[in-house]
Amino acid sequence: MKNMILLLGLALLATVGGVGEEVFAADELNCVLCHKYRGLSRVDKEGNFRLFYINEKMFKKSPHSRLKCIDCHSDIDEIPHKPAKKVDCTKECHLEEPSSNEKFSHKPVSEILDRSVHSKYDENGNLKEMAGKYPEDYPHCKDCHDNPLYRPLSFFKGEAAGISRRGLSRCKTCHTKGEFAETFYAHVTSRLQKMRSPKEIVGICAKCHGDPGFQERHELDAVVTSYQETFHGKAVHFGSEEAPDCIDCHVVSGESVHFIEGRESPTSAIAEGNVATTCRTAECHADAGENIAGFQVHVTYDKEKYPLQHYMLKFFTALMAGVLYFFVVIIFLELLRRLFPNFSFVKSSGTDEHGH
Amino acid sequence: MLAAARKVIYVLYTIALMAFTIWYANFIYPIIFAHSDSKHEEQLEEQKAGKTEEELMFEKFLKEQKKTATTDLGYMVIKEQYVKGHFHHVGMTIEPDIGNVCIKCHGAVPHDKAKAIRAFLNMHAFYLACEVCHIPPPQGQPNWDFRWYDKKTGQVIANPPGLVTTEIDKYGNYGAKIAPGVDENGIFHFINGKKERDFVDEYLKKKDLLGETEQSKMKKVIHRKVAEKPMLCDKCHTDKGEPYLPFAELGYPPRRISALTSTEVVGMVEKYKKFYIPKFLLQEEKGAGEKGGEGQSDDLKKGVPAGI
Amino acid sequence: MKYPRIAYRNGKRYFYRFSLVQRIQHIILFTTVILLSLTGFPLRYYDQPWAEPLYNFFGGIEVAPWIHRITGSVLLGLFVFHTGYWIYLFFKNRIGRLRREKRLTVGNAIREFFSQEMIPNAKDGRDLIDMFKYLLYFSNRPPRYDRMSWKEKFDYFAPYWGIPILGPAGVALWFRDEITHYVPGIVLNAFYIMHTDEALLAALFLFFVHWYNVHYSPEKFPLGTVFLTGYLSESDMIHEHYAEYVKIMKEEGLEHEIKPQH
Repeated sequence: MKNMILLLGLALLATVGGVGEEVFAADELNCVLCHKYRGLSRVDKEGNFRLFYINEKMFKKSPHSRLKCIDCHSDIDEIPHKPAKKVDCTKECHLEEPSSNEKFSHKPVSEILDRSVHSKYDENGNLKEMAGKYPEDYPHCKDCHDNPLYRPLSFFKGEAAGISRRGLSRCKTCHTKGEFAETFYAHVTSRLQKMRSPKEIVGICAKCHGDPGFQERHELDAVVTSYQETFHGKAVHFGSEEAPDCIDCHVVSGESVHFIEGRESPTSAIAEGNVATTCRTAECHADAGENIAGFQVHVTYDKEKYPLQHYMLKFFTALMAGVLYFFVVIIFLELLRRLFPNFSFVKSSGTDEHGH
Repeated sequence: MLAAARKVIYVLYTIALMAFTIWYANFIYPIIFAHSDSKHEEQLEEQKAGKTEEELMFEKFLKEQKKTATTDLGYMVIKEQYVKGHFHHVGMTIEPDIGNVCIKCHGAVPHDKAKAIRAFLNMHAFYLACEVCHIPPPQGQPNWDFRWYDKKTGQVIANPPGLVTTEIDKYGNYGAKIAPGVDENGIFHFINGKKERDFVDEYLKKKDLLGETEQSKMKKVIHRKVAEKPMLCDKCHTDKGEPYLPFAELGYPPRRISALTSTEVVGMVEKYKKFYIPKFLLQEEKGAGEKGGEGQSDDLKKGVPAGI
Repeated sequence: MKYPRIAYRNGKRYFYRFSLVQRIQHIILFTTVILLSLTGFPLRYYDQPWAEPLYNFFGGIEVAPWIHRITGSVLLGLFVFHTGYWIYLFFKNRIGRLRREKRLTVGNAIREFFSQEMIPNAKDGRDLIDMFKYLLYFSNRPPRYDRMSWKEKFDYFAPYWGIPILGPAGVALWFRDEITHYVPGIVLNAFYIMHTDEALLAALFLFFVHWYNVHYSPEKFPLGTVFLTGYLSESDMIHEHYAEYVKIMKEEGLEHEIKPQH
């Protein structure tokens, strides 16, 4: 009770004293009264730097913007509050999913993840041996996700990134209240492309798969570097949204992106019989032949695994070194000769018609 | 004469070209012989070669360390501070502070003990040098002269424009801090300036040459200006009388000043007057640091938020 | 068009080297090669700091690949044209002469083929030995090259080896989808390596060796002009093609004006 009074009191005070920033619609409890301060931070017991600042403008760009703080941080029941628990993404939240009228939750995603290669448990529900040894190598929600931000698209007159004001004006004719139209527009069009650029996706996978220690522990190849050597990787590096990132090839088209399976699984996108299908989706190599499956993506120059590449590399290295160093030596000697044009160990016979 | 000059130029150019040839031979070597495989193996070898857990961790952190996270929304690219494991976007960057002497040992996020307010105190450390609260002017002396310094250089700068414009990535995080100093014959210098920083660097490098007594004496003398009891919140956040920091002079617009001295803030800070003091600053008779500075309440010790 | 073997400008002798058609071919060749390098190497060295700005200059991932493909097509076209041009000249000049002289036999035709100025011959081997003797101070007489030295022949055949490796591989990677109906996918892996490694060799060679021969070398710096004018100055001719120089001077009746080699 005492807490509630204080809470109300603080909320009241806030309405009086605002710093002139716009008021945060979903923030009924006025958490940003304190969390608007940019430096609000501390170092926790494990030594992690914790920043408690909430950037409202950024938060508003996210699908979570219609939630209240305590919808996720539900263990907070007083202000000022004790260190809050970690957010459980799989809990039911107060929003209703409109098509089913059920309470919304990320639980299904977590269940899909549990069936994927990234699960700590095998198909029988037993803890995998490696997961027992290195639990931190298996990802949770937050290892791959920060707060997603809408990436709306405009199709109004040609494609462009961002919200089409002219398109939105049509929505707003009827949906006049608040920011509903804007949010709905952003929500839907963001889903028509990737919420994160391919480059960011590669960066996320690389957090683990790019770490040599991780690769060694799990006997995996350096898949990130080999991907980056492909045209796909290079196109993504230079900002292509069309070239495939990790997810495009490692998730069966139409499946949840959280359902990544290992090569051994017969249903995986990269299982022996499925590669051609994965490459030949309508958006990618639709016209390609069955043989496209034979193209090797994660290539190294390992003699056993990739003999063709290994010997071609040897050949071209030898060719390059041979040709270039041959000429480098000749050019150097020629230059040196210019400094001593007449010197010779063997005196010339002198019967030269036009020389000296 | 001209022929001779020509000859000299010819020889010099030839020698230069020979140097270029040698450079080129060097330049193409890694290009011809580099391939990602051996690079990767070398990395792994290098990573493991007889190193302790600490060393491995340090190297891993150094390699992982990135200052900014980039989110490309297509129509805009957001570059912000990278905070490992952080969920919410912060939309700002945090410049490391090289101008401050205290954080060399105490860190940039030093407040940890007073559970109810530690995050707030750390928030203040974003734009206030430690000295502002922890080093009061000597008794009988006039108040310090406060100025902003650039976190990246430690140099005095003009009042940050972010104070007025409250642009999104600057407000509360200006890349600058307020620090106290003195104006001597028209020349301003901070009480902890470059001289003090260099001295502490020197001390940290060579302190192992000293014995225990000397080290602890040095610690005391380095901290001699530090007050046992810091400046309390209401020194600045007060609606009665002149605040300790001259907000207007430091570039705060009237709207911000009235917020800082408003009932919102003032009402809140009145509840928190309890502070922990680093143990070695305490007089011996007062005992160990756990018992804390004077007036430390019981509920603080138990970790219960004070004031509720 | 008839080119005089020796041209005079400001009282200086210049020796004919390349016809206008050849010079235009060369200009197309180096323009396309430079463009291909600039739009190709940012991909190979994508992680270098210069890669992204350079690539963006050529329009980034949306545009630069198309510049690359179009210039590549032009270069392939040039390759085909030049081969045709060569065959045309061979039939017109050599086979035609044999026919007129009624000496056209298979043996003579082969002999004529190998006597063409670009085809390596035994003299190149002797020149190479002479060159090493000279460079290692076992002789103070530089090699006396004919109309085309072994270096120039090497320069010439470098694209003749490089383009058939680079070009088809590039085309195959361009039409990767179609090609997988006919060849195994791993062929694309091989093409990928061929394309990039051969390109690297070509670029490293051209930038240093070829440009040294024609631009950087102390006699030529800063710019050899034969690729523009088609004529080589007398001093360069003496320095680079002494045997040819002596031959032309004699044939033009200027024997008494022949200058010493150095």
